[in-house]
Amino acid sequence: MVQLTCLSRLLLRRKFLSRSVVSYQNINAAQYAIKIQTTFKFSDLGVQFASPDQLQPKPDVNALQFGKHFTDHMLKIYYHESLGGWQKPQITPMENIALHPGAKVLHYAVELFEGMKAYRGTDGKIRIFRPDLNMDRMNRSAIRLGLPTFNGTELIKCMCRLVSIDREWVPHSEASSLYIRPTLIGIDPSLGVAACDSAMLYVILCPVGSYFDTKSKAISLLADPQYTRAWPGGCGDKKLGSNYGPTIAVQQEASQQGLQQVLWLYGEDHLLTEVGTMNIFMFYINDRGEQELVTPPLDGLILPGITRQSILEISKEWNDFKICERHITMKEVIELTSENRVLEMFGAGTACVVSPVGSISYLGQTLQIPTTEWSTEPLYGRVLRTLTDIQYGRVPHPWAVPIDDYA
Amino acid sequence: MAQAMAQNMFRISQVSLNNVVRCNAYAFAPATSQAKAYSSASTTDKEKSKNPIQKSVFISQSTDIFTNLALEDWMYRNFNFNNHHVLLMWRNSPCVVIGRHQNPWVETNTTNVAHQGMEIARRNSGGGTVYHDRGNLNLTFFTKREEYNRRNNLEIVSRALFREWGIESVITPREDIVVKNTYKQQISGTAAKLGRPNAYHHCTLLVDVNKVALRQSLHKDDKGIVTNATQSVASPIMNLCEINQHVKVERMLGAVGWEYLRTCPETLEDGGQDLINKQRGFQLINPTDNWFPGLNKLKEELSSWDWRFGKTPKFQVNKSFRVPKEFLGEGEMGVQELKVSLEVNKGIIDDVTLKLPPGLLSTNGFHGEVDVVTSLRGQPFSERAVVSLENALHDMSTKEGNLQGKSQFVMNCMRQVMQSV
Repeated sequence: MVQLTCLSRLLLRRKFLSRSVVSYQNINAAQYAIKIQTTFKFSDLGVQFASPDQLQPKPDVNALQFGKHFTDHMLKIYYHESLGGWQKPQITPMENIALHPGAKVLHYAVELFEGMKAYRGTDGKIRIFRPDLNMDRMNRSAIRLGLPTFNGTELIKCMCRLVSIDREWVPHSEASSLYIRPTLIGIDPSLGVAACDSAMLYVILCPVGSYFDTKSKAISLLADPQYTRAWPGGCGDKKLGSNYGPTIAVQQEASQQGLQQVLWLYGEDHLLTEVGTMNIFMFYINDRGEQELVTPPLDGLILPGITRQSILEISKEWNDFKICERHITMKEVIELTSENRVLEMFGAGTACVVSPVGSISYLGQTLQIPTTEWSTEPLYGRVLRTLTDIQYGRVPHPWAVPIDDYA
Repeated sequence: MAQAMAQNMFRISQVSLNNVVRCNAYAFAPATSQAKAYSSASTTDKEKSKNPIQKSVFISQSTDIFTNLALEDWMYRNFNFNNHHVLLMWRNSPCVVIGRHQNPWVETNTTNVAHQGMEIARRNSGGGTVYHDRGNLNLTFFTKREEYNRRNNLEIVSRALFREWGIESVITPREDIVVKNTYKQQISGTAAKLGRPNAYHHCTLLVDVNKVALRQSLHKDDKGIVTNATQSVASPIMNLCEINQHVKVERMLGAVGWEYLRTCPETLEDGGQDLINKQRGFQLINPTDNWFPGLNKLKEELSSWDWRFGKTPKFQVNKSFRVPKEFLGEGEMGVQELKVSLEVNKGIIDDVTLKLPPGLLSTNGFHGEVDVVTSLRGQPFSERAVVSLENALHDMSTKEGNLQGKSQFVMNCMRQVMQSV
């Protein structure tokens, strides 16, 4: 009996996904040749290695800036409705993509992506952190853009094979990782704003040196209510490229003011939503004098971050303080800081796990947040240690599975 | 609907079964296959079918002999070769590499080599001395100790030569590769290191080496050295590019690499593109301490004087020199010789003996030998020792003026001894 996850049930219910689910329909002989698959399969994966002259020389580890260097291979999977749906996955040498100028991704930003990491553990094994959550999120994003969905487990297996091939791009030191960027784009060469008949899913990898650089220094934020990242009924809760492009100018504005990241506010109440490309957490003393960790709820404006979810789940396990998912307003933050009741504020994301916030510039005033100063054992440090212990295999945990055990 | 589902399940399970069966075909080689001459792996069949051995080809980005030897050593000590074999390919700028138990002064002329700007390195594996330059490709085959098999590795190289250029070669009993129909000139030399849990076999491949430089650096005069160190066996060599002008090192990387990937590790069966697709492919390696923590320490050790020269087994240098007539006393006839004997241990001069002929003694008595001896003792066996000897003799000759000529002669003899090695 095939196990149905929430996602498959969702797919079955949605009529517009009339791409037939193979096992649940009688297929006549005429259709047999172009059976539409719901997913590609890892067992169909074809590999074509880069030959020695196609390899990229590895730079010095200190020269590894995030996102600037890529590994030697990539994973590519095409989807063509006319050819029966998902085609066979291919691992090929890293190469440019050729697109028709009318491809929908270039006109209507029919693009979604994911961000996750593979970590080289203390035992030399490479582990991926909770990839199943990224796969679910990726499929939800695909539905919003009218792009085809797929079986997340099959993609995880293909990605494990890709990481295995390029695993020497991860330095052998203990704090190194490989950033994995799965991307799904609509490549239909027609200008109508409609669902794509052709799409391409590809995965590229970036080596990341030791993350113990200056990320643990507190960052300064610009909170300007005139800029909105996401809105109700929009797609702020999906990881789409179109959510990020428009933030570049705002980030430039922050840099011009000497500030490092943007604190995204929404609505009349100036709700805190996200910081930069990360979720936001606040650790403070509540009205009853207890320590409380609070983060905005998943009401459609917030990207459901995997680090965010992991922090909430870990905190619930610790059971040391109250945890609440609720709206936070700037008014509240100002009140709390004036009473010295804010202990910490930090962003949470895949790139650096947690990023402590030192100050917020808001409507002419600067709020100082004592995140890195209030204690020798701050919460964000404890969270960082716990999560990295799991990711680097120092503590065995079902959240981090070695790539060799996946395939 | 249930039937369609069942059909699907059956199809899926059959596909995975086929994959498993295909895997096993490589793991369970029938005893009558040609592979029976080679040692078989001792891992259980169950382990093999569960996790077939995957192969990687690493290519070093460095051309420094010490860095590459350190990388080789790092991988031997730290890499996990469970179900993973690695072929490391590396090239060096011109240098001389002696075996673990060899005597650099015997094998090569250290002064000349230094003057030409070449390094002398001592590797960790045994065997003889070789000359490296960029026309030489080094191959290191890493496996777990149980899966170590030199002949298999050389067979892969031999196949690659044929597949790419049609060159036919044989592997001699000494495990050199010799091209057929040549005058037994080898194009490869082999050495190995076995440890627990890892082992490696490395060999050279002469593609386009500078044969003049090779001959000059490996030239051995009779230096009067008595030693127990491993002596190299001089063999005639040739370059592959002499057999076929299309043979180039860059192409060799691909030829040997792809052949390594397509060959089944235990049975040497050619698995073709299907087997290649199951491997891990090629990777460039940047051997720095940041990529491989601990590499710098290994590199420092390998480039230290203590390792390269100090690890030499104890040896003796004996030389004799004809004393010119003018230094002999009057009335002395015949040929007289000054005999110099040095005992060198761990690269340091332990003892010096000068046997002076009677004629060299003058009425004042040639006491100089005492100072000569003491000044040399404890010096490393190198140019430095000559300098300190010069100083000692200079001091001595200022004290006893008319001995200048004789002490000059003795000093020249000593210097000759030092420079001849």
